[in-house]
Amino acid sequence: MEKALLKNYGNAETHKIDVYIAGGGYVALASAMKMQSDQIIQLVKDSGLRGRGGAGFPTGLKWSFIPKDPTIPKFLCCNADEGEPGTFKDRGIIDFDPHLLIEGMIIASFAFGASKSYIYIRGEFAFGAKRLETAIKEAYQKGFLGKNILGSGFAHDMYVHRGFGAYICGEETALLESIEGWRAQPRKKPPFPALSGLYGKPTVINNVETLSCIPAIISRGAKWFSSIGPEKSPGPKIFGVSGHVKKPGLYELPMGTTIRELIFDHCGGMSSDRPLKAVIPGGVSAPMLNANDLDTKLDFDSLASKGSMLGSGAVIVMDSSTCMVKTAYIINRFFSHESCGKCTPCRDGTPWLTKVLKRLEHGEGRIGDVELLERLCSNIFGRTFCPLGDGAVMALRGFIKNFREEFQYHVDNKKCKAA
Amino acid sequence: MVTVKINGKEITVADNTLILEAARDAGCEVPTFCYQADLMGLGSCRMCLVEIEGQKKLQPSCITPVLHGMSILTDSSTVTAARAGVLEFLLANHAMDCPVCDKAGECELQDMVYKYGPAKGAHAETKFKFHEKDYVLSPVIIKNSNRCVQCTKCVRVCREVVGVGVLGSVGRGDHQEETSFLKGLLDCDQDGNCIEVCPVGCFMRLPYRYKARQWDLKSADTVCPYCATGCRMVIEERDGVVVRARAQHGVGVNSETLCSRGRFGFDFIGNAERLTTPLVRKDGVLVPSTWEEAVAVIKENLSAFEGSRIGGVASPRLTNEELYLFQKLFREVLGSPNVDSSARWDSSGVEAFIKAAGMNEGGVSVFDCMDSDAVFIIGSQVSEENPVTDYIIRRISSGRRMNLVIASPRAMKLDSSAQTVVRHNPATEGALLKAIILTLNENKLSVSAGINAIKETKLTDCVASSGVSLEVIKRIADGLKNAESISILVGTEFLRFPEGIDGLDLLKDVCRKSLGKKLRILPLLDRCNQRGAWEMGVHPGFGTGYRAIAGRGMGTHAMLEAATRRGLDAMYVAGVDIASMYPDAGHAREALSALKFLVVQDMFLTDTTRLADVVLPSSAFAEKDGAFTNQEGRVQTIARLKNPPGKAKRDGDIIRAIGQSFERSFGPDNASLVFDEIRREAEMYKEVSLVFNNKRNIDNKLDNKEALVKASSALARGFSAWNGGAPSSEETGDYPFTLMTGNHLFHSGALSSNSASLSGLLRAAVVEISNEDADEMGVKSGSLVRVKGMTHESDMKVIVRRGSKKGVAFIAENFADTPVNRFFSRGRSGARVSITRLG
Amino acid sequence: MSEIFSKVKNEIAAVLDKYPNGRSAVMDVLRIAQEANGGHLTKEALGEIAALLDMRPVEVNAAAAFYTMYRIQKPAGRHHIWVCRNISCSLLGAEHIIAYLERALRIKTGETTADDKFTLSTAECLGSCGTAPMMQIDDDYYENLTESKIDEILAEKGLK
Repeated sequence: MEKALLKNYGNAETHKIDVYIAGGGYVALASAMKMQSDQIIQLVKDSGLRGRGGAGFPTGLKWSFIPKDPTIPKFLCCNADEGEPGTFKDRGIIDFDPHLLIEGMIIASFAFGASKSYIYIRGEFAFGAKRLETAIKEAYQKGFLGKNILGSGFAHDMYVHRGFGAYICGEETALLESIEGWRAQPRKKPPFPALSGLYGKPTVINNVETLSCIPAIISRGAKWFSSIGPEKSPGPKIFGVSGHVKKPGLYELPMGTTIRELIFDHCGGMSSDRPLKAVIPGGVSAPMLNANDLDTKLDFDSLASKGSMLGSGAVIVMDSSTCMVKTAYIINRFFSHESCGKCTPCRDGTPWLTKVLKRLEHGEGRIGDVELLERLCSNIFGRTFCPLGDGAVMALRGFIKNFREEFQYHVDNKKCKAA
Repeated sequence: MVTVKINGKEITVADNTLILEAARDAGCEVPTFCYQADLMGLGSCRMCLVEIEGQKKLQPSCITPVLHGMSILTDSSTVTAARAGVLEFLLANHAMDCPVCDKAGECELQDMVYKYGPAKGAHAETKFKFHEKDYVLSPVIIKNSNRCVQCTKCVRVCREVVGVGVLGSVGRGDHQEETSFLKGLLDCDQDGNCIEVCPVGCFMRLPYRYKARQWDLKSADTVCPYCATGCRMVIEERDGVVVRARAQHGVGVNSETLCSRGRFGFDFIGNAERLTTPLVRKDGVLVPSTWEEAVAVIKENLSAFEGSRIGGVASPRLTNEELYLFQKLFREVLGSPNVDSSARWDSSGVEAFIKAAGMNEGGVSVFDCMDSDAVFIIGSQVSEENPVTDYIIRRISSGRRMNLVIASPRAMKLDSSAQTVVRHNPATEGALLKAIILTLNENKLSVSAGINAIKETKLTDCVASSGVSLEVIKRIADGLKNAESISILVGTEFLRFPEGIDGLDLLKDVCRKSLGKKLRILPLLDRCNQRGAWEMGVHPGFGTGYRAIAGRGMGTHAMLEAATRRGLDAMYVAGVDIASMYPDAGHAREALSALKFLVVQDMFLTDTTRLADVVLPSSAFAEKDGAFTNQEGRVQTIARLKNPPGKAKRDGDIIRAIGQSFERSFGPDNASLVFDEIRREAEMYKEVSLVFNNKRNIDNKLDNKEALVKASSALARGFSAWNGGAPSSEETGDYPFTLMTGNHLFHSGALSSNSASLSGLLRAAVVEISNEDADEMGVKSGSLVRVKGMTHESDMKVIVRRGSKKGVAFIAENFADTPVNRFFSRGRSGARVSITRLG
Repeated sequence: MSEIFSKVKNEIAAVLDKYPNGRSAVMDVLRIAQEANGGHLTKEALGEIAALLDMRPVEVNAAAAFYTMYRIQKPAGRHHIWVCRNISCSLLGAEHIIAYLERALRIKTGETTADDKFTLSTAECLGSCGTAPMMQIDDDYYENLTESKIDEILAEKGLK
């Protein structure tokens, strides 16, 4: 498969606009500007592109919710707050192919009439933020941004907004609050951002990878895109593999590639001769799968049918030496650290889970701890304001479901079975 | 309208009603922490989760509107389990120090756990603590964050209602703490609304700390004794000492809010300096006496003078019943027409103000005013004089489109809610209003007589005198022209400088008669029963219910003038400190000293009581029954909570005793019978209902119209116009500042000076100037300056107010150390002064 | 305007241009102020930012305290080391890396070296999971860490 998203990954030159243009860049933009905006939205709908940030919402449909009234200002926000542990795919695009993202954003903005866009990039990606700022400057110089883009009369301004260390900003309404200078706590929905988003104006929030798919869809057509992978969640997908594999890293593969293919054909298999114990298929919120699930296809629907999710496509591989209690603790600690504090179950529930898991891990387990964890999970799940709390619970439930006896072993023996 | 099923019961409610409100309407209980009707909806505490048929997840009922056909369960097992789960989480890190918590017994968290479980919390981990010891946020607020449930009502009420925004949620996750900037001391209105909305013992009253257990308190429903907003509140006492004042959500115009004076200023009641026994002057010295002796001395002395040579001044803080008896004593027993209710306002100005504000047309609800297209506030420092009116205006104006215009020489907190802010020169409200009228009249749309009266007036003169640009005046005029309904909120500056009143009267006519607007005028008054005092007839120009009287008496100003000319022999002053409040300290003192006989009834030994021949110890609002009429004309009852200290008596009883010493039948005997007589005497009060007082009144949005006074038709000959003229231009050369006065946010009159809590917030007088002047003089807030007028000079600290008019200085009127009235002369509450930097 | 702010006047003016109101620039201005002040925010800086952006001081305080990378009233070393300790790095020995750094710098996590050169912190996932274990020093990522690589990096940064 010819790469569409990672074709320039690792290239030391492609972040420069001339190199990007020489490689066929901004041709898609020129073609898009000759199309009607409705045509572009229809094309994206036809491609079957679903959001790559985790929720998998059809992108074309999201754009079509934006009111058509040209007198209302509209915004595009690119969610580059890549923070879910295990996820590093967007950084791969931003660092090496910033213009791919920018081109996708200009096309998207043209399609639904956004006059301004913000790229919300996590604060730690200082390198990426500078890359993007330079690339945006270049795009202005070439007339791809600013007033009257490519003579079309369409005007668009693009800015980089840097986060500064808060995972919750990846939640789209928290991201909007953060740009507006408030504490980044999620907003109630409705109203949905498509009607009342940034500064109360219609706003689309798309992930970096989603927007980076757009130029290829324009250039190669909806059919090309939809013919890759499964019918209901088609297209190329970046998988970020980490953990106990020989060759961790980013892999652009068709949606629907199996876990086994990914690990053993592309990543060179396990990093040692220890067998695979568990796989988290889509970032830490995604419930884990075990060694029996390796033939599961990596796409939205297949993983959902296995009780897990594709999420960000971050595949974390663990071998038999991994302590499941410790790993659950580390993951849960992340969620309680990142809980924004708005709603009670997440704010007070996730730290409680962390404290119990920490005790278990440190050999201070008490009888009934596993049941307590399960009960607390039920008191959090489905009752939080935003999906962060649910994510914490889904992750922990995945661990307990697959490796309950290991948790019980920690309670009974005050030590770990795996180590 | 939509129909939904709640727990199987069908109910029809308005579109967009929140599920929570619909459920409560249907009589189903839904517990909440973060929800409060007046505040922005959050949906964060998760106590109000309900089950909606067909939806997998429970939904927060406080932010979810009903949809037609919804079937909602508020008490299914899933819902009750979720509630218990939320409470278990809230208790996880909760301090659980209930035995020493001031909130115990009235804590919403306690009550909810009691009601909804869990019976036993499973949290057995180390609790997260924000801090070890409670920390002080201000002289009146102390905080224990370890008890916090993160409902953030404190932060929201501070920003959305009070409008100061000094509290924020700092930190993230379970480390999120609702506190001040870097946990430092709060520079704010100190109103304690953060305390009131706190469901737990996180924000606490510092003066109340460890003073009582809630279940030991005895309480009374009453009305705040400070400004005339008329906030309903509950005062509570333990062992005869009033220890707390609080407001209740859904009760009164104020609902749960109070200002610093209302919430913390009640402690003057328990001040050890209260007068507890009558005093009679013997050999030049005031000595303790009995009531019998004191009344006998009064009877003997007053009998010696002709009625027309006796004057009476009663405080606008007495009840309607007391004020009614006071004027009855003068008019019917002593045969004197000389009664007044203010040491500060000229009685002729008052009369013109009542006419211009149309107060005889009946009560005007502040909520109706805020329903107008245009709201124009002029002559009032509303944020400080009527803080809760400020909250009401802020809250409502942020929720709907309206054109809010504020005109005041001094900047104020409410400015941020206004579309147009006007900074006119002090005492030029009239010129500003005339400029607006002349602009409105550009197209000669009006032929009313009033317009003719000022047709010779030049717009350019008015513009120049007011110091406001023509452009701004045009904008205001356009705003009025484009509005269908207009409300004008007028404050005490018109009473200090009555020359502005004819402009107001004229604008009223132009708006109503020439432009055909729906116009309401709401007076903003600074004493709790000022309107009641006037309507009871404690005024030399009219009787009870604004009834015309035969022969005009003297007002305070005329009485003092007469006294100095030996044209007045005696005065009976009830609760007014004339020597400190009359705008000319020297003159007041001289006049009072010239009297042959002076009776003063007060709670404290004031500058005026010190000059008295007989001093009668009187009572605080908490010690009596009766009714106040607030600025809107809302008649509300106060209730007795405790007895006066020592031998002190209720003002009504004192007036009655004096009356009965002349006529045995003088009465009626108690407050309720007096009110019946008021109903008979004053048409305005005939139909007024006191029934809804203190009842939760959510249905008609805190606006209990049955309590508003009605229009009076008794007024046969109309009010007199103001008989003074504009002052001749004053010397400005050596005195570049215009000194204004009024109430301070923490202080108004003698009550607040005797409140330890309020004095703790601000003890000594300060002079406030604009940032422009401060920059020019090189002074900052806190710098020491000398304020020098033609008659007086004094050193004090300066406070810089950003955005005030250049050349305007302000000193509050109540500070004993720096009586601002020493700068004034002959009743005029304004003066030219110079301000120089010291050191 | 204080000395620190006047030094970065142009930078602040540029970020103010990005947004329709001052409040939206608070994160950028806080970052610029923190960098200009050697890695932490003072009370005065927070107050000055509030005045600049027409915000209440406590709002600036609250905005800053929400994000882990702002340091409020806590001076930091010249170099701030953030070691990732979440799952992918942990699977490949993050705990070991942290312990090694603590030994090398002779401080505990959360502390600053006596010479004010280094502050050591941990981070929950820095988005470099394919090159674990890793750390960030100031703006730069250091990936696929080993003990010897750490020695080299610290020496280059001036550890004696």
